[in-house]
Amino acid sequence: MLRRVRLYSLSTCPVCKKVKEFLASNLIEHELIEVDTLESGEQWLAMKELKKINPKETFPTVVVEKAIVGYDEEGLKQILEIKN
Amino acid sequence: MQEEKLYEIFQKYAQSKGIELNKDKEFVFELIKGLLRNEERYGYRSCPCRLASGNKEKDKDIICPCIYSAEDIKEYGRCYCGLYVSTQYNQGKIKETIVPERRKK
Repeated sequence: MLRRVRLYSLSTCPVCKKVKEFLASNLIEHELIEVDTLESGEQWLAMKELKKINPKETFPTVVVEKAIVGYDEEGLKQILEIKN
Repeated sequence: MQEEKLYEIFQKYAQSKGIELNKDKEFVFELIKGLLRNEERYGYRSCPCRLASGNKEKDKDIICPCIYSAEDIKEYGRCYCGLYVSTQYNQGKIKETIVPERRKK
Protein backbone atom coordinates (compact mmCIF):
# COMPACT_ATOMS: atom_id res chain seq x y z
CA MET A 1 0.00 0.00 0.00
CA LEU A 2 1.35 3.39 -0.95
CA ARG A 3 1.14 6.05 1.71
CA ARG A 4 1.84 9.75 2.00
CA VAL A 5 1.87 11.61 5.31
CA ARG A 6 1.73 15.39 5.56
CA LEU A 7 1.86 17.52 8.67
CA TYR A 8 0.40 21.01 8.57
CA SER A 9 2.10 22.85 11.37
CA LEU A 10 2.98 26.24 12.81
CA SER A 11 6.58 26.88 13.80
CA THR A 12 5.40 28.61 17.00
CA CYS A 13 3.01 25.92 18.22
CA PRO A 14 4.19 23.51 20.95
CA VAL A 15 1.44 20.99 20.20
CA CYS A 16 2.69 20.87 16.61
CA LYS A 17 6.14 20.19 18.05
CA LYS A 18 4.73 17.22 19.98
CA VAL A 19 3.31 15.79 16.77
CA LYS A 20 6.64 16.29 15.02
CA GLU A 21 8.36 14.41 17.85
CA PHE A 22 5.76 11.64 17.66
CA LEU A 23 6.31 11.19 13.94
CA ALA A 24 10.07 11.30 14.36
CA SER A 25 10.15 8.80 17.23
CA ASN A 26 7.98 6.42 15.21
CA LEU A 27 10.17 6.91 12.15
CA ILE A 28 7.25 8.09 10.02
CA GLU A 29 8.44 9.67 6.83
CA HIS A 30 6.39 12.80 6.20
CA GLU A 31 6.19 16.11 4.45
CA LEU A 32 6.30 19.01 6.88
CA ILE A 33 4.34 22.09 5.85
CA GLU A 34 5.24 24.86 8.28
CA VAL A 35 2.48 27.17 7.13
CA ASP A 36 3.47 30.34 9.00
CA THR A 37 6.92 30.32 7.44
CA LEU A 38 5.65 30.14 3.83
CA GLU A 39 5.51 33.08 1.48
CA SER A 40 2.00 34.48 0.93
CA GLY A 41 1.24 32.63 -2.31
CA GLU A 42 2.48 29.31 -0.99
CA GLN A 43 0.69 29.92 2.29
CA TRP A 44 -2.59 30.59 0.51
CA LEU A 45 -2.22 27.34 -1.43
CA ALA A 46 -1.33 25.34 1.69
CA MET A 47 -4.36 26.73 3.54
CA LYS A 48 -6.60 25.91 0.59
CA GLU A 49 -5.39 22.30 0.70
CA LEU A 50 -5.73 22.12 4.47
CA LYS A 51 -9.28 23.48 4.33
CA LYS A 52 -10.36 20.62 2.07
CA ILE A 53 -9.63 18.09 4.79
CA ASN A 54 -10.00 20.25 7.90
CA PRO A 55 -12.50 23.09 7.33
CA LYS A 56 -11.59 24.62 10.69
CA GLU A 57 -8.02 25.13 9.38
CA THR A 58 -6.44 24.30 12.72
CA PHE A 59 -2.95 23.17 13.66
CA PRO A 60 -1.51 20.62 13.89
CA THR A 61 -3.27 18.57 11.22
CA VAL A 62 -1.84 15.30 10.03
CA VAL A 63 -3.09 14.08 6.67
CA VAL A 64 -2.51 10.46 5.75
CA GLU A 65 -3.18 9.54 2.15
CA LYS A 66 -3.16 5.93 1.09
CA ALA A 67 -3.37 4.50 -2.37
CA ILE A 68 -4.42 1.08 -3.56
CA VAL A 69 -3.03 0.18 -6.93
CA GLY A 70 -4.85 -2.45 -8.98
CA TYR A 71 -7.55 -4.78 -7.66
CA ASP A 72 -6.31 -5.58 -4.21
CA GLU A 73 -9.42 -6.80 -2.39
CA GLU A 74 -7.78 -7.10 1.00
CA GLY A 75 -6.12 -3.73 0.63
CA LEU A 76 -9.42 -2.10 -0.41
CA LYS A 77 -11.27 -3.66 2.53
CA GLN A 78 -8.60 -2.48 4.88
CA ILE A 79 -8.41 1.08 3.60
CA LEU A 80 -12.20 1.46 3.31
CA GLU A 81 -12.73 -0.22 6.69
CA ILE A 82 -15.03 -2.85 5.19
CA LYS A 83 -15.53 -5.75 7.56
CA ASN A 84 -16.10 -9.43 6.52
CA MET B 1 11.30 41.16 26.38
CA GLN B 2 12.90 38.25 28.14
CA GLU B 3 11.00 35.02 28.47
CA GLU B 4 11.34 34.87 32.27
CA LYS B 5 10.00 38.40 32.61
CA LEU B 6 7.04 37.60 30.43
CA TYR B 7 6.37 34.46 32.46
CA GLU B 8 6.15 36.60 35.61
CA ILE B 9 3.80 39.08 33.91
CA PHE B 10 1.54 36.30 32.66
CA GLN B 11 1.52 34.73 36.10
CA LYS B 12 0.41 38.02 37.66
CA TYR B 13 -2.26 38.44 35.00
CA ALA B 14 -3.53 34.90 35.64
CA GLN B 15 -3.71 35.53 39.39
CA SER B 16 -5.66 38.73 38.84
CA LYS B 17 -8.22 36.78 36.78
CA GLY B 18 -8.51 33.85 39.18
CA ILE B 19 -6.87 31.45 36.74
CA GLU B 20 -3.37 29.94 36.47
CA LEU B 21 -0.58 29.36 34.02
CA ASN B 22 -0.31 25.78 32.83
CA LYS B 23 1.75 23.86 35.39
CA ASP B 24 3.81 22.39 32.53
CA LYS B 25 6.46 25.10 32.61
CA GLU B 26 8.38 23.77 29.61
CA PHE B 27 5.18 23.91 27.53
CA VAL B 28 4.50 27.47 28.77
CA PHE B 29 7.98 28.58 27.75
CA GLU B 30 7.46 27.09 24.28
CA LEU B 31 4.30 29.20 24.03
CA ILE B 32 6.13 32.29 25.27
CA LYS B 33 8.81 31.77 22.61
CA GLY B 34 6.04 31.54 20.01
CA LEU B 35 4.39 34.72 21.29
CA LEU B 36 7.69 36.59 21.13
CA ARG B 37 8.33 35.26 17.64
CA ASN B 38 4.93 36.54 16.54
CA GLU B 39 5.59 39.90 18.17
CA GLU B 40 8.88 40.10 16.29
CA ARG B 41 7.40 39.32 12.87
CA TYR B 42 3.88 40.78 13.13
CA GLY B 43 4.26 43.45 15.80
CA TYR B 44 1.74 41.86 18.16
CA ARG B 45 1.61 38.76 20.32
CA SER B 46 -0.90 36.64 18.47
CA CYS B 47 -1.75 33.12 19.62
CA PRO B 48 1.15 30.81 18.67
CA CYS B 49 -1.29 28.01 17.83
CA ARG B 50 -3.22 29.98 15.23
CA LEU B 51 -2.15 31.37 11.89
CA ALA B 52 -1.98 35.15 12.07
CA SER B 53 -2.62 37.35 9.06
CA GLY B 54 -0.11 40.04 9.92
CA ASN B 55 -2.97 42.55 10.12
CA LYS B 56 -3.44 43.59 13.73
CA GLU B 57 -7.03 44.71 13.24
CA LYS B 58 -8.01 41.37 11.66
CA ASP B 59 -6.19 39.42 14.36
CA LYS B 60 -7.30 41.42 17.39
CA ASP B 61 -9.40 38.47 18.58
CA ILE B 62 -6.35 36.18 18.76
CA ILE B 63 -3.94 38.55 20.46
CA CYS B 64 -3.02 36.80 23.70
CA PRO B 65 -5.05 36.45 25.84
CA CYS B 66 -7.49 35.78 23.03
CA ILE B 67 -11.12 36.80 23.36
CA TYR B 68 -12.13 33.13 23.44
CA SER B 69 -9.94 32.22 26.42
CA ALA B 70 -12.42 32.94 29.24
CA GLU B 71 -15.11 30.81 27.61
CA ASP B 72 -12.66 28.01 26.81
CA ILE B 73 -11.26 27.96 30.34
CA LYS B 74 -14.79 27.86 31.71
CA GLU B 75 -15.84 25.02 29.42
CA TYR B 76 -12.64 22.99 28.94
CA GLY B 77 -10.41 24.11 31.79
CA ARG B 78 -7.88 25.68 29.48
CA CYS B 79 -7.57 28.21 26.70
CA TYR B 80 -7.12 27.11 23.08
CA CYS B 81 -3.32 26.95 23.24
CA GLY B 82 -3.12 25.82 26.86
CA LEU B 83 -1.26 28.79 28.32
CA TYR B 84 -3.99 29.77 30.76
CA VAL B 85 -5.86 27.11 32.69
CA SER B 86 -8.20 26.74 35.62
CA THR B 87 -7.03 25.54 39.03
CA GLN B 88 -9.03 22.33 38.52
CA TYR B 89 -7.19 21.71 35.26
CA ASN B 90 -3.80 22.06 36.92
CA GLN B 91 -4.99 19.70 39.64
CA GLY B 92 -5.76 17.09 36.98
CA LYS B 93 -9.47 17.17 37.73
CA ILE B 94 -10.46 18.01 34.16
CA LYS B 95 -10.09 15.45 31.40
CA GLU B 96 -7.56 16.48 28.77
CA THR B 97 -9.33 17.31 25.54
CA ILE B 98 -8.73 19.18 22.30
CA VAL B 99 -10.29 22.62 22.62
CA PRO B 100 -12.37 23.27 19.49
CA GLU B 101 -11.66 26.44 17.56
CA ARG B 102 -14.28 29.11 18.28
CA ARG B 103 -12.86 31.58 15.81
CA LYS B 104 -15.08 32.07 12.79
CA LYS B 105 -13.40 31.85 9.42
